[in-house]
Amino acid sequence: MKRALIVALRELKTYLGDKGDLAFSLLLPIATFALIYGAFGGPGLFHGTAFIVNEDTGVYGKQLVENIAAQKSLDVELLARADAETKLERSDLRLVLLIPAGFSDRLRGNQPVQLTFLQRGNGGQEGQIVASIIRGVVSELNQEFQVRGQVEAALAGKGVPQDKITLTVWQFVEREREHPLVGVKEIAAGSKPNMVNQFLPGIITMYVLFSVSISASVIVDERRKGTLERLLTTRLTIGELFLGKFLASVFRGYVQTLILLALAYAVFQIFTPSSFIESLAVALVFAMAASALGLVIAAIARTQDAATWIDVFVTMFMTMLGGTFFEIGGGTILYSLSKLSLNTYANDSFKNLISEGGSITSLGLELAVMGGVIIAGIAVSRFLFKALPQGK
Amino acid sequence: MAELFLVADDLHKSFNDHKAVNGVTFTIARNEIFGLLGPNGAGKTTTIRMLSTVLDPDAGEVKISGFSTREHPNEARALIGVCPQELALYEDLSAFDNLMFFGRLVGMNSREAKAQTMSNLAMMGLETRAKDKVSKFSGGMKRRVNLGIALMGQPKLLFLDEPTVGIDPQSRNKIFETIQGLRQKGMTVLYTTHYMEEADRLCDRIAIMDGGKIVAMDTSRALKANIGDPDKTTLEDVFLKLTGRSLRD
Ligand SMILES: Nc1ncnc2c1ncn2[C@@H]1O[C@H](COP(=O)(O)OP(=O)(O)O)[C@@H](O)[C@H]1O
Ligand SMILES: [Mg+2]
Repeated sequence: MKRALIVALRELKTYLGDKGDLAFSLLLPIATFALIYGAFGGPGLFHGTAFIVNEDTGVYGKQLVENIAAQKSLDVELLARADAETKLERSDLRLVLLIPAGFSDRLRGNQPVQLTFLQRGNGGQEGQIVASIIRGVVSELNQEFQVRGQVEAALAGKGVPQDKITLTVWQFVEREREHPLVGVKEIAAGSKPNMVNQFLPGIITMYVLFSVSISASVIVDERRKGTLERLLTTRLTIGELFLGKFLASVFRGYVQTLILLALAYAVFQIFTPSSFIESLAVALVFAMAASALGLVIAAIARTQDAATWIDVFVTMFMTMLGGTFFEIGGGTILYSLSKLSLNTYANDSFKNLISEGGSITSLGLELAVMGGVIIAGIAVSRFLFKALPQGK
Repeated sequence: MAELFLVADDLHKSFNDHKAVNGVTFTIARNEIFGLLGPNGAGKTTTIRMLSTVLDPDAGEVKISGFSTREHPNEARALIGVCPQELALYEDLSAFDNLMFFGRLVGMNSREAKAQTMSNLAMMGLETRAKDKVSKFSGGMKRRVNLGIALMGQPKLLFLDEPTVGIDPQSRNKIFETIQGLRQKGMTVLYTTHYMEEADRLCDRIAIMDGGKIVAMDTSRALKANIGDPDKTTLEDVFLKLTGRSLRD
């Protein structure tokens, strides 16, 4: 056992000593994460641009634009009317808000005014959302004017100065806005269902599969360096040799998965602390199973080419059948075959933990299968290595 | 008769019907330097691999200090050190780490392994480069590391498989010096080479190997005396006479 650790530490020393290899293997999960983030990331809330033609020259037009710009989910871009019309014509824009000339004057005179949405077709999905946010802003503005109209009417002839009325009404409206009588609050139930939830299990599974590739080469590697025979003339047993290689490749494969999961945890907030810990544990068990499987390849392969090709074949087979790329329906031959793939069990586990809010206690079957693969893989590889002729 | 430290009895090994070693028998006495001299492909390396428990013979038996390598491989391994023909080391580790690693695996604790690593590196003239990666070393220095590793654990019997192939004179002299020094301290050595001057200079007895068989075995002087005046003939002449071919072919 101690000698197995010595072998594992030697392997890790080489891994940590090769700065290029190390940097690559640590950057890979970060780069993958960046890709996931680019594809599915961001705050997850709507963000759009409100295109506005403001033909009004007074304060209220300007105020409306400012109120719209104050919305977190909207940016404002102002354009001239002619410009807006050509862009709508060319479908560069789908929806534009038109604030008409004289908007402020009419409001000041308590006369009704009309805002217009110039739109192409139904304004597009984004346009519709932008329009409804603008409607919300306008209805707040409406309230403000209605309240002010009523207050003015009630105070008419009492000698209260106009700007005092304006200021007081504005303050009350503002207070109401900040502490509404009827508020709406959003609480996410369970973990948030989104694209990351759908894809992350498959991506983690792919990552853990690197352990297969890493451990598939561990013996040909020693063979190539000429050190295998030397190792066999020391007190190291074949069991210890394989165990040491196993430990090293679990570590290497797991570090990458750890980085990926930690980034996902920090950025996407799709885990609860307990589902995160449980995912880490499942990833470790899976990395161990993958490494053990790789050892079997290592025990068989006589050359680097053989190791690489068997590894490619096995990982492709497992990925295809493991539900990483496509769902496999029940009852088909593919479904039965999928039970031969480690990925199936890993994917199911991660889906359960990440997307379905499940717990590790419901993963008995999956963990048992992976545990079986770990034990069988280490035992079988040792047996095969001894049984097969050791020709150079 | 001195104590027999190694007995190789009628060893056979074939690879795909090709008889690489075909009935090899010899013994090595304790503290002897025994040479296997033969051209490339004679079966020297295959013989050493069988003696060092790496390869199982198809037939025949090896005993090291009385331990059969088939029945007691661990006891046999505890007595031997192997310096393979091809470099067998980790180029991405330092010389120090290489020796330490194998030292730990032959059963030393880390303090013992460290002390022996330092003394072996000094013996090889590499103490100033101990912490440098082996990949930066010259071919001769790498061969010295290769030998340094084989000496970890202070084996009683050392197998040296063509340790001087393709190296500079400085490294070669260092290796010769080391072997002679070790012999002074009681080590037994099996030395293979296809350079007859090396066998002549180092070995107490020489087995001349060709085509998987030992064609003659004696002291250098006796081998030469068999074909003429031992002061005027060379081992090259002996080989030519016995096989009809030149050693260098
Ligand atoms: N692993 C192997 N597989 C097939 N043939 C081998 C193997 N090892 C050695 N041979 C063959 O056995 C013969 C003896 O080789 P070897 O023992 O390496 O000779 P030497 O060390 O004297 O040069 C050669 O013909 C070589 O090609
Ligand atoms: Mg050889």
